[in-house]
Amino acid sequence: MNPNILVLGAGVSGIEASLLLAGAGRTVHLVEKDMLIGGQTIKFEEVYPNLECSTCMVAPKQQAVLQSANIKVYLQSELEKLEGALGAFTARITKKARYVSLANCIGCGACYEPCPVSLNNPFEEGLSTRKAVAVPCAGALPNVPAIDPEQCLHLNGKDRNCQACKEACMFDAILFDDKDETFDLEVGAVVVATGFELQEATKFPQYAYGGGKNVYSALEFERLFASNGPTEGKLILRDGRTPQSVGIIHCVGRKEQGYCSGVCCMYAAKFSRFIKHKIPEAKVCEFHTDLCIPGKTYQKFHDQTRSLGVEFVRAESVGVAAKNGGLEVAYQNVDRGPGTFKADMVILAPAMVPRRDTPELSERLGLKQDSRGFLASRRGGLSPIETDIEGVFVVGCAQGPKDIPESVAQAEAAVGKILSLIPEETG
Amino acid sequence: MTQNFKPNLVGYLCNWCSYAGADLAGSTKLEVKPFLSVIRVMCSSRVNSNLVLSALLWGADGVLVAGCHPGDCHYEQGNYYARRRFALLKKILESLDLEPERIQLSWISASEGKRYAEVVNEFSDKIMRLGPSPFETNPKI
Amino acid sequence: MSVRIGVYVCECGPNIPDKIDIDKVLEDIAPLNNVAAAKRFRLLCSNDGKKYLADEIRKEKLTHLVVAACSPREHEKTFMQVCVEAGLNPYLFQMVNIREQCAWMIPDKAEATRMAAKHIRAGISRVALHGPLSKKELTVNPDVLIIGGGISGIEAALSLASKTRKVAIIERSDSLGGRTGKLSRLLLHQGTDVSVLREKIEKIEKDENISVLTGCEVTDIRGFLGNFEVRIESSGEEAVSRSIVVGAVVVATGCELWDGYDPAVYGAGNIDDVVTAAEFEDMIAAGKILLKNGKPPRSVALIHCVGRKEKGYCSKVCCLYALKFAHHLRDSRAPAEVYEFYSDLCLPEKTDQEYFDGAVKKGVHFLRTENVRVEKRNGHIVVEHGDGAGKKKTLEVDMAVLAPALVPPPGSEKLARMLNIPLDETGFFKEAHAMLDPVAAPIEGVYIAGCASGPKNINESVVQAQAASGKILSTLVPGKTLEPEVKISVINEDLCTGCQTCLSVCFYGAISFQAHKGVSAVNEAICRGCGSCVGSCPSGAISSRHFTYRQLYEEIFEALR
Repeated sequence: MNPNILVLGAGVSGIEASLLLAGAGRTVHLVEKDMLIGGQTIKFEEVYPNLECSTCMVAPKQQAVLQSANIKVYLQSELEKLEGALGAFTARITKKARYVSLANCIGCGACYEPCPVSLNNPFEEGLSTRKAVAVPCAGALPNVPAIDPEQCLHLNGKDRNCQACKEACMFDAILFDDKDETFDLEVGAVVVATGFELQEATKFPQYAYGGGKNVYSALEFERLFASNGPTEGKLILRDGRTPQSVGIIHCVGRKEQGYCSGVCCMYAAKFSRFIKHKIPEAKVCEFHTDLCIPGKTYQKFHDQTRSLGVEFVRAESVGVAAKNGGLEVAYQNVDRGPGTFKADMVILAPAMVPRRDTPELSERLGLKQDSRGFLASRRGGLSPIETDIEGVFVVGCAQGPKDIPESVAQAEAAVGKILSLIPEETG
Repeated sequence: MTQNFKPNLVGYLCNWCSYAGADLAGSTKLEVKPFLSVIRVMCSSRVNSNLVLSALLWGADGVLVAGCHPGDCHYEQGNYYARRRFALLKKILESLDLEPERIQLSWISASEGKRYAEVVNEFSDKIMRLGPSPFETNPKI
Repeated sequence: MSVRIGVYVCECGPNIPDKIDIDKVLEDIAPLNNVAAAKRFRLLCSNDGKKYLADEIRKEKLTHLVVAACSPREHEKTFMQVCVEAGLNPYLFQMVNIREQCAWMIPDKAEATRMAAKHIRAGISRVALHGPLSKKELTVNPDVLIIGGGISGIEAALSLASKTRKVAIIERSDSLGGRTGKLSRLLLHQGTDVSVLREKIEKIEKDENISVLTGCEVTDIRGFLGNFEVRIESSGEEAVSRSIVVGAVVVATGCELWDGYDPAVYGAGNIDDVVTAAEFEDMIAAGKILLKNGKPPRSVALIHCVGRKEKGYCSKVCCLYALKFAHHLRDSRAPAEVYEFYSDLCLPEKTDQEYFDGAVKKGVHFLRTENVRVEKRNGHIVVEHGDGAGKKKTLEVDMAVLAPALVPPPGSEKLARMLNIPLDETGFFKEAHAMLDPVAAPIEGVYIAGCASGPKNINESVVQAQAASGKILSTLVPGKTLEPEVKISVINEDLCTGCQTCLSVCFYGAISFQAHKGVSAVNEAICRGCGSCVGSCPSGAISSRHFTYRQLYEEIFEALR
């Protein structure tokens, strides 16, 4: 049986699985769709309930992955097809061209400034721009940019003479003739750790999201308060004002999706604390249905948030409208009837949903999707990480909404199963 | 305050948070005043009165100790010990008629490049205002 | 033997020469004592650069190496490896950060040059005092002790046991299964039957690599990852005691239902037909849900959150098992009216909401309340509940089932002390890192799985047991050795006064007091090298390998020259 492992996704789950497998002496092929590793967790400034600095927490692990001799990282890469069975899988991988040499680039950043093209930065949830050749954020790992071939004037043909980045680079790291690649990896087992998305807030017209209004989706707000984000952590609205009144709306999409996402009550409380810390006089009100704060530490965090003067309203039929230059939240307090709340800023906590490419991914893996669209676990077992294919495991939010500790535990559990299913002796 | 006074500062940075924060300040090309000599330690709890006082004894105008934010210490609680020792150290300095502001304990995380630059620059300014260490002329020492 | 230090300044392409006058720096340091070579190179971390360095080490017969370049966090390991390949002890090496912390943050070239030279001189003085540290290799015992024979312990045992790794499960009751073993139905919407547990127990009984010690408890544990000595005693009449040696310990001691609630408020034990969830499970298992008078109840109140306020946390599993009870009651041939009293509905998994909706469809009533009392009035059970507007209402029912908080079982404190691992303020075992290390204790070699670290459901417990196995399978490989941290603390016995201050600050329990000598000693297998003990020692008896006072003083001297 092939002792090597394929890990799809380099978020906290994929990173944890890779490090643990590498520590056991296995070769890990870590395939990541994005140009950097770290997943969604590195977008947060702090994580609940300890309010620990997220990047500080994950950075040593990211560095360990990049420095590990046993972990081969493939960025801007995706699984095309998985075939085979436990002990002998063949994974066809397509790797997009980076146009920058990972071997030569030392991350000096000299190429960013001369580039004439700016585009929306998806890492910053569209809140700021970056150049066509850039890293997604300060502190990105690996600290090597990629060129967006559709926007780059040289690569999309609009100006083949533009070589500003290449001219600025002293290390011959710009490779305009880089090509996409396709190759096969032979592995014994697969860990799928492809993570989640938040539901598009535009699907809910009742919350007035979009059109430049000060209604933010949760990940956008995470970038707003990140010290390496578009405003360097300053809490300012799109027009530069400081909000004095903020409404946070839970359960956006809960009814439609048919499940509770489990993490929003906690991160909403985290947001409230952050706002009160930065703007002590601000009024903060959270509109929620049931509070989902299970476990030994979460309730305390929540109670402490209340004691900071954050208001909590148990509400149904919540809606947001633009009014008089600001926003108004209209709601039905389940105990007291209708009410309104004037806000400068509204933050939405949308449902955690499967990534939009899950149908394709499930097909490529040969797995099913469950009724909610997540990759399906094997029925009849007690461990949700096992799928119908022996040797293929789904961990983290790809399996279903969950918080970081559960994602990490699932990743470690997959390693446990793999190391016992494929002991080294048979390799 | 002397016009051309270039303070000699010693900084103990913990490997996991503040040293990384300093690196980030550099990689984001933030300007930091050139007075701080950085000494890397594994944890701020390694730094005790010996290391702070010897620096002052041998002519440092100021000593900065930087560690992880409380609760984030890589070794769980090292920075709490650093915090307690510092409170005592300040009192010792007072008893030596040395300005307690010459020593500073700051929490800087790995993602706080900007904060690192701010802390070091403000500390440098503060020491420039205080002037050179009165050590050589201090009868108590 | 003469000291020959080689100092190499990396240009990092244009990054450094643009901001630092490298030639001036080299001029400054070349004449220093012990400097055998002072040179510059375009890019030392490249393959060419690494080869160049290796060649230089051999050619110049260097005894120590200094590289002035980017941050050690980037390439310290790279250059240490070059040293190893060139036959130089990798700890006789110092990396000086002149890129991130000089060239990139000091715009004035003269100032940046000055600071770079200063730091390099500090590195040169320091490296001369480095010791040729060497990695240690510890042989390990790969066997595992699992404390607790519930679902987590069972799963961990099955995941770990093999011909080359023996597992011992120690369980203080007289059978395996724990609280899961008392359930006759698991949450059906997950498609799993409780026979799964029975199958697992049978597998364990057949597995010759797993020994099950029921009616036994751990009474002493000493040691560290790879080498724990455990004393086990049977809690029965025959006091049998034995010792085993294992490499890792999994704490899977589970939890229990809180019974400290006020009977005046909740009525259980006081009032007939007010039962706890465990008692109700027993009724389901017996196949009959009956009142004390032998008749089936026509109405049942399920009281959630018993102890949530008092304990200060939500126990996560109760809403789900209460729904299980509700479904069960409504599915019976003579369905009872079911009323669920709750404060918040906790339905965090992707299929939980559906399960709840199904109960609503079956006619289960859900009443949200902040304050609930279960009392006997006029021979009937009455549930008094306050609604959101503060209005008090009452409901008469035949039977009430209480869902109490999940709490740590007795003996947790004793076990925590024995293992030297902390409990948090709720009394559950504390994880090494709440986010990134949820199944490890802060002491290496000790793992925590299941409800021992906090309330969780069966699936999560099983995942945690598998996770603990994953960590053990990765770390404790039969036949392989462990390499503990090299840059650890060392206590000089001649200077140690035996005050034990160091012991009190060591989070990892790496220091022990040697009573017969009157001094303390550091366990090299456990020490993580943080230096807390070094900083706290009033006698200066402890030194930190690679961060000794003398080494740091050299850096200070140069800083202040």
